[in-house]
Amino acid sequence: MSGHVKNMCPQLTISQAARTLLSLLLVAAIDSVSAGVVCRKQPCGSSLQRSLKLTKLIHKESVDLLKTYKLSQGDMSELFCQMSINNVPDPNISGLDPSERMLSIYSHCKAFLPHLKRVTEQQTDLQPPSSSLLSKLSTAHNRTNGLANQINCIYQTLFPNLPIPPEPVDGPTSVPPSQNVFQQKVYGCVVLKRFKEFLSRVTRELRTLKSQVCTRRTPFADTNALF
Amino acid sequence: LSVTWEDGHASTFDVEILRTELMEMVLNVSESTGKHQWNWTSPVPLECTSLSVKVRSRDGQDVSEWSSQQILPGLDLPDNTDSQMYPEGKTVPVGSNMTFCCIVEEGQQFGSLWYKDTLMKENMLSRRTYATTMTNQGSSNPSGTNVVCSNEKKMIIAGAVVFVGYPPLPSDLVCETHDLISVDCQWSKGRDTYLFGMTRQTYYTLNGRNCPKARNSNMRCGLEQWDGNWTLVARNLLGEFRLTDAAELGHRVRPVAPVNLTTPEVYSWNASVGWLWKDKGFERLSLICQVQRTSHLNSSTQTYTGYGLNTVVLKDLQPDEKYSVKVRCGSQKNFWKWGEWSFPLSFQTKMDRPVAPDIWLWMDSDNLGRVLWKPLTKSESHGQISGYEVILWSPEENSQQTLTLPQSVYSLPINVTDRGSKVTVTVTAQNPAGASLPANVVIPRYLLDAEDTAISKVAFNGSGFPLSWVAHANASCGYVVDWYNTSCTQDCNVEWTRVAADNTNTMVQSGNFFAGVRYTFSVYACSSESTVLLERWHGYMQELVPSRTVPRLSPKQEGADVQLTWDQIPLEHQGGFILGYTVYLTNASHLTLLANITDPQLTNHTVKNLVLGSYKFTVKAYTAAGEDGGATVSISLEPYTYWLIMEILVALGTMTCLLIVITIAFTGFSFSIFTILWKTMPGTGLICVCFQGTLDVKPSPHSMVHIVEDSVWDSSKEALVTVPEEDEEGTGDEAADTDEPASLRYYNQVVEEGSSSQRRPHASDSSASSTGSMDSGHTDVTYTGIQTSACYRPQMQSASCPEEPQTGPEEHLQPPVGSFGGYQPQCSWKPDSPEADGDGLDQACLGSPTSVTSSQFLLPYDTSEEGKEHPSSASTWFHNLLTGKP
Repeated sequence: MSGHVKNMCPQLTISQAARTLLSLLLVAAIDSVSAGVVCRKQPCGSSLQRSLKLTKLIHKESVDLLKTYKLSQGDMSELFCQMSINNVPDPNISGLDPSERMLSIYSHCKAFLPHLKRVTEQQTDLQPPSSSLLSKLSTAHNRTNGLANQINCIYQTLFPNLPIPPEPVDGPTSVPPSQNVFQQKVYGCVVLKRFKEFLSRVTRELRTLKSQVCTRRTPFADTNALF
Repeated sequence: LSVTWEDGHASTFDVEILRTELMEMVLNVSESTGKHQWNWTSPVPLECTSLSVKVRSRDGQDVSEWSSQQILPGLDLPDNTDSQMYPEGKTVPVGSNMTFCCIVEEGQQFGSLWYKDTLMKENMLSRRTYATTMTNQGSSNPSGTNVVCSNEKKMIIAGAVVFVGYPPLPSDLVCETHDLISVDCQWSKGRDTYLFGMTRQTYYTLNGRNCPKARNSNMRCGLEQWDGNWTLVARNLLGEFRLTDAAELGHRVRPVAPVNLTTPEVYSWNASVGWLWKDKGFERLSLICQVQRTSHLNSSTQTYTGYGLNTVVLKDLQPDEKYSVKVRCGSQKNFWKWGEWSFPLSFQTKMDRPVAPDIWLWMDSDNLGRVLWKPLTKSESHGQISGYEVILWSPEENSQQTLTLPQSVYSLPINVTDRGSKVTVTVTAQNPAGASLPANVVIPRYLLDAEDTAISKVAFNGSGFPLSWVAHANASCGYVVDWYNTSCTQDCNVEWTRVAADNTNTMVQSGNFFAGVRYTFSVYACSSESTVLLERWHGYMQELVPSRTVPRLSPKQEGADVQLTWDQIPLEHQGGFILGYTVYLTNASHLTLLANITDPQLTNHTVKNLVLGSYKFTVKAYTAAGEDGGATVSISLEPYTYWLIMEILVALGTMTCLLIVITIAFTGFSFSIFTILWKTMPGTGLICVCFQGTLDVKPSPHSMVHIVEDSVWDSSKEALVTVPEEDEEGTGDEAADTDEPASLRYYNQVVEEGSSSQRRPHASDSSASSTGSMDSGHTDVTYTGIQTSACYRPQMQSASCPEEPQTGPEEHLQPPVGSFGGYQPQCSWKPDSPEADGDGLDQACLGSPTSVTSSQFLLPYDTSEEGKEHPSSASTWFHNLLTGKP
């Protein structure tokens, strides 16, 4: 979605006050909807703080998730994460200015989502249905999606003139083709390890962004105006 | 590995397999089937390394040339540079053996092979391939067993997962119908397969139809129609297992739960319950149903049968009671299993008249008493009680009094004065449904404990008081046993129980019994004509020691005896049956038993033959649980003062009369008598009057004796001598430790001339006299003047202290040492003792001039023989005169 919402005119006869209220709600909805995400207008500091809290929560859960994962993969699984696997998103956040780095966070969140989904699918075939690992993987996937949406909203608020590219800025990291069981175990371990590292970096990055962007709001707005 | 070849007519072929790279022999077999094909299953995955196969024919001793080698390439070829491990993802049964191989990446060195956490011994198959074999594998965890290969840096370079488990082994297939149409089969999962995941889990089919819902512990599968025969197939990668079951529909009916429960009719004591069947087939089936009803009282289940049963009548319900009922049914014919319970239905029965209350009467006196009745329980009231009606009816006076009381009142004071000898009390309880049947009781005659009926003791046996009595001829409505706290006098809590007429014993039980409380139990014979007291008991649930001591303990001296009297302990403090009293002589903390009085009614005791002194007596009451703390009383035995005074007065009077008579009769000889008397006491100028006995002079609490200097004092004059009641050993410097006020007792020896009441000690040397005196904290002698003349010594005490009169060693009680309130006589002070003269005397006179423990009056030291003799002879003379001794 591109932030464009059609205003559907009601055919029913309604009172003037109700019409006014409906109009206000529709305007608010149009204003807040962007890139498929409903964004509420919030002060810079509070929205970043909210995302920071969410990031901390996901990071804390990712530590536990990785621990649970290793425990459920059998012997020697501690060493699985040391193996090299291609096409798993890099945990590093790139970019020079805040807008680029925020965009990198967003694209990383989006990039990790299919990998988390794939790991969840693979582990569903390796764990009993009652396994806590499956529920934790599902939770991590959902929270990461929510974090991506929040970052998207913040980005649109802070940098309204900079469009979000459809593809991740750090390049695509497609999920791997079919893997044997051992490769699945190694793949999941690497994904979760990098996911945890990424969240740690996001936590630091959001702290920095909060101090930079929210205290010097005007200069960045001016910078965005140049684009 | 499948090997085929052409040509050759021999019936036997030799097949040889080598590992291509190292040319190691793997297999060499002779195949005699005549076929040009040979199949072989390699224990080592074929991917591990390349194998070379060659074949030759054999005809007897003739053997052909080997065929050219056919190479089956492995995955360790140089162009396949990655590390690999085989086999991967295999599923094998528990206990099987398995060989794994690791192909090391080009340029790396092999390190080790691990099966789970076990380091395996490897076998080199080729330049890059190493293999190991695990035997008798155990079951895997859900994600499989890891087998990993590491390089020389102990980094994992490849790995494989193997799933080790069991084939399915279900059991107990049972099929039944819930609706008389479809079939529902259930079975037990049986042994765990240890295999999970889409490809490895167990799949079930029932009569060829998949059972997708048969997962985890929910092992059931249904079919729409009753087939009569069922086959369950359980299948996983390791095998399959079949179970079968067969039955007729009528033998496997387990009905679904009835629905829409209703109560068409509800009464006080019964109600009907109806329900519907979702499936019409049950309306044409003989059913057996269970109805479970639950109230706040209990829960019970009744069974009913019937064709298409859908209504039952519940009996024996309680009025005004909430019930919850639920129903389940089964097929009456060829019963298989009970169906599911229906949802519960609640209803409340209607109210009914209450039952007659249990009433009793408790008379405080002949005419006053209380009507008592027990509150009705919920199961007795049959509805909310609105009140009680009490009727007092006197047939003799033909009078009736009716009172209506609220529901919260359970007793009524009554006065039956002028109502005749027979008064009947009737109580009815009322609720919205009506009044109960009347409960009647004839007022029993009031009887005190002491009247008529003997009182027995009854012991608590752990659970209650067992009572039994002789049957009474007129006990048409049985017996009533009531009990109450014996010490209670007003508005007592009376409990009672009823005993059937054919029973003459009961066990009285109550949660209101307390230890140490005496209860009175009475059994009455009850009839419509009278209520007669039959027997009465006293009992304690548990006897305790008395909670207080005997009151009003007091001593009374009777000569040398002391009579102790006390009152009985009040009943509420007795704690148990008083069995008697013990009397002790108390000496500090030590108690000496004097008497054990086993008659609890006896409340006095006389301690005889006591010597003078102070005594403490302790009296303790005792029960079966022991003695109380004891009441203590003290007494100081006084000398027989009054008798002594009387004796003196009589003697003086007699002598005066005698002198008057002599004077009158013999006036002419009066001078001669004076002369005689003067000669009797030469040198003293005194008329000595001596008498025997003690004069009790109670000192002030501190026993201060003030010795006032008298400048005209003449050391040659006499002094009043005080003799303590008992001796004290040694020099008298040990204090007599007593907490009682000192009691000085003076033994008058000499009456001073002109004034016998003027008693002044001759204190020639205060320090010497104080040291020589017995030390006492209670008897201080304060010197207001110190004379430097000779020290005082005790007067004329013989070496042997005057012995206390002894009537027998065992009959006399010596005053307890340390608690004696009097003073010890200074019997050790002898006129000729070393302490009494010379240096010894001087030494004895040293000390504090302000502390004298002796209660003796001191006489001046007289070295002349006369001075020694005269006081003694004078006192003896006077004593003899008074006592009439020669």
